Amino acid sequence: MSQPERGGPLLRVEGLAHAFNGVPAVQQVSFTVGAGQIHGLCGHNGAGKSTVVKMLSGQLAPDRGRIVIGGETVELRGRQAAQRAGVALVDQELSVVPALTVLDNMLLGDLGVPFVNRRRAAAARCRRILDDLGLERIDPDQPLSALGIGERQLVEIAKALGQNARLVILDEPTATFSDAESRHVFAAIRRVAATGCSVVFVSHRLAEVLDLCDVVTVLRDGRDVATGPAAGLTVDELITRMLGETSHRPSAARGPAQDPAHALRIENLRVPGRLGGFTLTAPAGRVHALAGQLGSGASDVLRALAGLHPGATGTAELRGRPVPLRDPVRAARGGVAFVSGDRKSEGLFLGKPSAWNLVATRLPALGRAGVLRPGHERRAARALAERSGLPGERLDDPVGTLSGGNQQKVFVGRCLENADVLALLLDEPTRGVDVGGRAAIHRLLRQAADSGLVVIFASTELEELLELGDVIVTMRDGRMVGRHEGDVDGALLMRDMTGGAEHA
Amino acid sequence: MTAETGAVAADGSARRWPPRVVTAGLAVILLALLLIPAVTTPRFLTLDNARAILASAAFVGITSVGATMVMIAGSGVSLATSQIATVVAMFFLGTQHLGLGAALLIALAAGVALNAFQGAVIGYWKADPIVLTIAGGFAIGGAATWFSGGTTVYPGARGFEVLNATPLGLPLAVYVLLAVTVVVEWTLRRTTAGRQMYLVGENRAAARAAGLPVGRVTVLAWAVSGACVALTGVFLASFTTSATVTLGGTLTLDAIAAVLVGGTAISGGHGSAVRTLGGAVLISVISDVLLLRGYSTGVQILVKGVLVLTVVLVVHVRSGRGRR
Amino acid sequence: MTGQMTGQMIGRMTRRVIGRMIGRSWGRPEHAMPAISLLLVLAAFACSPLLSGRPLEAFDVYNASQGFAQLGLLALAIGITMIAGEFDLSVAGTYALGGMLAVQTGAHSPVMGVLAAVAAGAAVGAVQGGLIARLRVPSLPVTLATYIALLGLTYTMSGGLSVTYANADATLWVDQQIAGVLSPRSLLTLVAFLLAAVVLGGTKLGRELRAIGGDRRASRVAGVGVDRRIVGIFTLSGTLAALGGALLGYSYASANPDPGLQPLILAIVAALLGGVSLAGGRGAPLGLLAGTLSVALLAQIVAVTALPDFSTQLLYAALLAVIVAVESPGLRQAIERLRARRTGSTAMTPSQGGRP
Repeated sequence: MSQPERGGPLLRVEGLAHAFNGVPAVQQVSFTVGAGQIHGLCGHNGAGKSTVVKMLSGQLAPDRGRIVIGGETVELRGRQAAQRAGVALVDQELSVVPALTVLDNMLLGDLGVPFVNRRRAAAARCRRILDDLGLERIDPDQPLSALGIGERQLVEIAKALGQNARLVILDEPTATFSDAESRHVFAAIRRVAATGCSVVFVSHRLAEVLDLCDVVTVLRDGRDVATGPAAGLTVDELITRMLGETSHRPSAARGPAQDPAHALRIENLRVPGRLGGFTLTAPAGRVHALAGQLGSGASDVLRALAGLHPGATGTAELRGRPVPLRDPVRAARGGVAFVSGDRKSEGLFLGKPSAWNLVATRLPALGRAGVLRPGHERRAARALAERSGLPGERLDDPVGTLSGGNQQKVFVGRCLENADVLALLLDEPTRGVDVGGRAAIHRLLRQAADSGLVVIFASTELEELLELGDVIVTMRDGRMVGRHEGDVDGALLMRDMTGGAEHA
Repeated sequence: MTAETGAVAADGSARRWPPRVVTAGLAVILLALLLIPAVTTPRFLTLDNARAILASAAFVGITSVGATMVMIAGSGVSLATSQIATVVAMFFLGTQHLGLGAALLIALAAGVALNAFQGAVIGYWKADPIVLTIAGGFAIGGAATWFSGGTTVYPGARGFEVLNATPLGLPLAVYVLLAVTVVVEWTLRRTTAGRQMYLVGENRAAARAAGLPVGRVTVLAWAVSGACVALTGVFLASFTTSATVTLGGTLTLDAIAAVLVGGTAISGGHGSAVRTLGGAVLISVISDVLLLRGYSTGVQILVKGVLVLTVVLVVHVRSGRGRR
Repeated sequence: MTGQMTGQMIGRMTRRVIGRMIGRSWGRPEHAMPAISLLLVLAAFACSPLLSGRPLEAFDVYNASQGFAQLGLLALAIGITMIAGEFDLSVAGTYALGGMLAVQTGAHSPVMGVLAAVAAGAAVGAVQGGLIARLRVPSLPVTLATYIALLGLTYTMSGGLSVTYANADATLWVDQQIAGVLSPRSLLTLVAFLLAAVVLGGTKLGRELRAIGGDRRASRVAGVGVDRRIVGIFTLSGTLAALGGALLGYSYASANPDPGLQPLILAIVAALLGGVSLAGGRGAPLGLLAGTLSVALLAQIVAVTALPDFSTQLLYAALLAVIVAVESPGLRQAIERLRARRTGSTAMTPSQGGRP
């Protein structure tokens, strides 16, 4: 840990507020970050973290309040103004350009880069920054599109840390990282902080926040409710402050295995370059968890079964009937429903009403001879909303206007109560979902399994795996590592997922 | 909407005017702005003039109603429309000796097949519609010149003249336009395929991951649009009684303009056939008013461009879309 | 020893520089597109005497370069907007407007006419760019509307008729032969391409242009002044198109109020052959140059060999079909699927056979 309170405060935020169309997202947030300090920002979804980050990085103008950097009140109109004030950002969403090379990405938008290209100097600097992050394997001249998602994220972090900023903001930077990658990133963040640069670190992974940060500010409902040193805090205490009450952790119920004929049998499933020979029999009634970091192949198992990998080979059988691979339409007809981990771009129809989204995959069943029956459709949508715990009055609102948790309920609800669906495959079922919504989703999945569906989900979160998975299959480098039933602890899973001995 | 901030903002309880009301209000204001000069124009409010307006809207209107479906299904626009209309017209006139019914069927089949093929490449292979339809336009136009020898196609029989009839004083094409609008609108609103077109247009990747038949839906939209283009081609052929390679004229862009004036978003997922009909009629009305007031063709085209621009901007700003 | 090493170094340097100017790696088909298409067309051009029965003359090359001049600035204009992920259909309107303005205002001073055309083109582009950047509207419908409006404007200016340009000196000057194969018009066009190549290849503008086209949101977050760049890009495309129209007006000694969609479509074909993708983020001025030269040479080949007109159209269709095939993600997936099915079935046989 680096030392807290080195030098005076570098960033002072006073009474920040911002409302969207009259709806307050941030009402009253104040905190200070000392030079060289790593400052954590916590809060569950909708607490206003992202809005604060957007105001600090010049993407939104505050309605009220001041931002003081280095003793000067600054008005950050736009990202460029923020950069001139010395603020570097790693955005919540991956913000590098796949069409450019690694080097071009590192230079893009950096104010310190001259107008006329000086390639040699830039390449040398880029090399040094990459090496600092343990990225010796990345060539600056590689097109970014040749890298995986995790490596792209690392390039973005490298870029932000290399900008000689006074303040670096990292918004959910580690969501896609393996432990080893996180370690490298944390070491680099600490090195940057040691030079006197302040860091604001936003993450859902609370243990990480406590491990990395010197001071933590907790946001709730758009206000800062607590600020204090991270040392001595526990994750549970942090959760209590975030929610205002102790979170309830439901005891994991192990469902009984049902008729073995009602199983999904996967045999020798391969996806070139991603997954090598995966075999699993998942009986209905039990929730199967695929535990693996990004790139482990866990989500590729699900995507291949959903027909989204055109190069997938192998066989899959659902209730004795073969599931066609390589074609999403035929996979759906074969009884597979897939809930993607990317709700926005590959999941929901954001501009369409929740009701439309709920019935989107069962239109033929609700109509007759290709003609819709509005009454039937309405009733089905209502029933599904009720079943998935979605407020009924939001049925006509575009689903994009709902909170992350409610969006996910719509997404999962879309696959429920559908005679055609025999297996439910979910990739990161609670990504970007608040604690309350998460419990609700978990309940839904448990019920789905109880009702006789095959439920398989892939996740990188230990807590979720342990809470929800009856059978936990660990994966690494495109292969199955272990299969755990009954009691298992997180440490064991983590060892499986990260290649334990080599790293730990 | 980006990130959770958008969701936070909109998830709150404060309600503003529903977008539908605002859009309707804007449409009323726009119409008023246009109609006041219209009704004060001498000879505008006559039955003959109304007929003239509808008649001039009919040809482009039929094509644009079909193009609406393509745009809603997320395939953007077709730049091969003129060429297909031309080829269809040639087929129609060239097969007149087989009888009107057979010629109509052949013409429709040609339009549907040519467009559905392009739709298949777009739907199943995810080809870029603009590149593909430019290629299609070249291929179809080139082939048409090749087979017609670059000369005019004259009909072998006069059966087609039935299509120039004017029951109740209105050209047949106007009735066909109304019928096509009703059929397309009903398909979009009330059928499974229509709903799926909106979904595919809204988010193609999501539709694919959900196992919706993206390819089939796209092909269907293009096929319907092809039938509409074919109808336009047939009426054009009957009207001019001969077909040259330039018969299609400016149909391509005129049709797109009408769809856009109808408020359909080019990015897909939103729009309606009835509104496109409104767009086509509106364009006709404006041209008519300007014509009656003695403005030149140039001014008519200029005003049409400004109208398209205005509607595109208003629709876009209202729906708050396209934030990239 | 040292000589060999410097030779190697120079070789590597040139490869790198050329690679960067044309659009990076040569490995993938879409990146090799401009060079391949230009080489193919050049070969066909060289072979055209076999069909026409008469040897190629400097005049044929001159004609091709005139065709290049006619298309070039339009292709560069729309190509640059396409690299930035936009699609400026209005260049066809600005092209017509530029010709009309130059012909009408430049009777006494051709330079004044060009200036008027360029100023108008820049203004139209800037306004459009401002709208597109500020409101974040997709550019296709906006520029389509502008195209229609500009066409109306040219019609109004000319009363719907072609306007002749009386300044014969200017007409002779822009088309006079330089070194037998070039003219001031084609030279100017060539210079525009080279200038664009140097500026985009040597400054941060090229990087930003491709970034804006590749991922707009990410560029914004990275701190690129996206809005300002977009205004700039559309201003540039308007300027170039108007300049092209003005030069064409002088060359033809007349301006047509409606040149039709043909020039626009050919410019798009040139840009696509030049390795630009409609999705944005890919392409470079030298690639555009190669694409434009290909289109111009192709037209000249058809003229020299006296092939029927429609064969040009069919050739373009075939070339675009290749582009569609190379670029469609779905086709690549279909091939992958086919391959998977084949390897899947062959892999299955031994494992099934191996079972007891």
